Amino acid sequence: MSTYSVYIGCSVPANYPNYEASMYKVAELFGLTLEYLEDVACCGSPNLRAMDYWGWTLVNARTLAIADSTEHDIVTPCNGCFGSLKDVYHLLKSDTDYRNRINAELEREGLEFRGTSKPRHFIEVLYTDVGLESIRKKITKPFDGIGIAIHYGCHLLRPGDVTEITPEILSELVRVTGADVVEYALWKQCCGATVLPVDEALAIRLARDKLKSMKDAGAAFATVVCPACCNQLDLQQLGLRESYGEQFDLPILFYPQILGLALGLDEDEVGLGMNRVPAKPILQHFSK
Amino acid sequence: MTEIGEKKELPDVFIDPIDMSELDRGFRKEIQSMPNGEELSACFACSTCTSACPIANIWEIKPHQLIRMIILGIREKVLSSKEIWLCLTCFECQERCPQGVRVTDIFFDCKNLATEEGMIPASIVALGKELIEKGQLYTVTADWEREDLDLEPDVPGLSTDAVKRVLGSTRTGRLVKGGR
Repeated sequence: MSTYSVYIGCSVPANYPNYEASMYKVAELFGLTLEYLEDVACCGSPNLRAMDYWGWTLVNARTLAIADSTEHDIVTPCNGCFGSLKDVYHLLKSDTDYRNRINAELEREGLEFRGTSKPRHFIEVLYTDVGLESIRKKITKPFDGIGIAIHYGCHLLRPGDVTEITPEILSELVRVTGADVVEYALWKQCCGATVLPVDEALAIRLARDKLKSMKDAGAAFATVVCPACCNQLDLQQLGLRESYGEQFDLPILFYPQILGLALGLDEDEVGLGMNRVPAKPILQHFSK
Repeated sequence: MTEIGEKKELPDVFIDPIDMSELDRGFRKEIQSMPNGEELSACFACSTCTSACPIANIWEIKPHQLIRMIILGIREKVLSSKEIWLCLTCFECQERCPQGVRVTDIFFDCKNLATEEGMIPASIVALGKELIEKGQLYTVTADWEREDLDLEPDVPGLSTDAVKRVLGSTRTGRLVKGGR
């Protein structure tokens, strides 16, 4: 089937090899070839965008230009990288003057942004290119209708005219595994990751409110598709026992871990032991 | 308990009038010339952005007030406000603006202008320093975890030199060196 150029970013490989490995294993099961992009730069995150818009567009345009030369779409598992790449892609596609200025800089590196390789989030590739029907056919260990709350992550969904991603993509992908999607009041709310360097207490409070909303709605598990959101909801959850005296015990799984298990991968193949809040209870929820 | 008819002390002025001489009338155009700032003038102050913001209730200056202040030219107060740096960048405000004003994008523009004038939190400069010195924001600390999953030991495909080279010649480089 298709080949994709993977922009893995720095947070996924550094902090969440379980996300990276489960993405690769799932892709392999569907015959997708994922090739790491070589010689690419860090996306810089929204914090780079805040202090240095020109530098942020330049490093990301450089990555897009390298992807153009591979003639494959560029795929990433990180909402932060996706948001940066897609926003810069959108800017350069719509603003000719800006693109010319960027390309004048890139020429010094022997590169040119053409926009032939489109930045895409891995879940959108699963949804669009593989498709729900093909996924359903390969599910060998469906879940028993267990309730999973989805934290989409802001930069996956918004701004909608830039990301071109709707919430249904992920909710349908969760349902196809046999799990139930738990609706909760704060489903759109931010995890707080971006303000962590500026106001840690605020960031933690946002994560706490989010977890409480999921738990109150009856979620047994939650899923994320971004390493920064996972930091906030999984890792920070451990600290909430002290700061808020609250223990949510809500396991947070990356979506490819959930799909991988339903496709018959074992817990080690999806790195389930690396999730901070123990995620192994999900193994009790296969329907057969 | 207040008796009916009792005279309650009222302030001399309910709303401080704007001193027109202190307005920077070029500020609106400055923002409009920046990426995604074109629609700024379409704001009719409905405050939908403020309603959409998850943390506006802890902001002294609300999102719709910041936008109004930009239009009026209250430049210094906008650029020195702590609120622009507390923006979650969740894009809820921008998504719901009925006038198509790219509110979150405009706050990014404001942060760039504030940075240019040296008004940037030290923690954000520190992230710039990471990018200039290490060429990445996160480094692998537990390579045995990657090994267990048959992944290559370091961040795949990442050129730290490219980050250092590109950002070294832009504002990030100047900022980290201590200049502007």
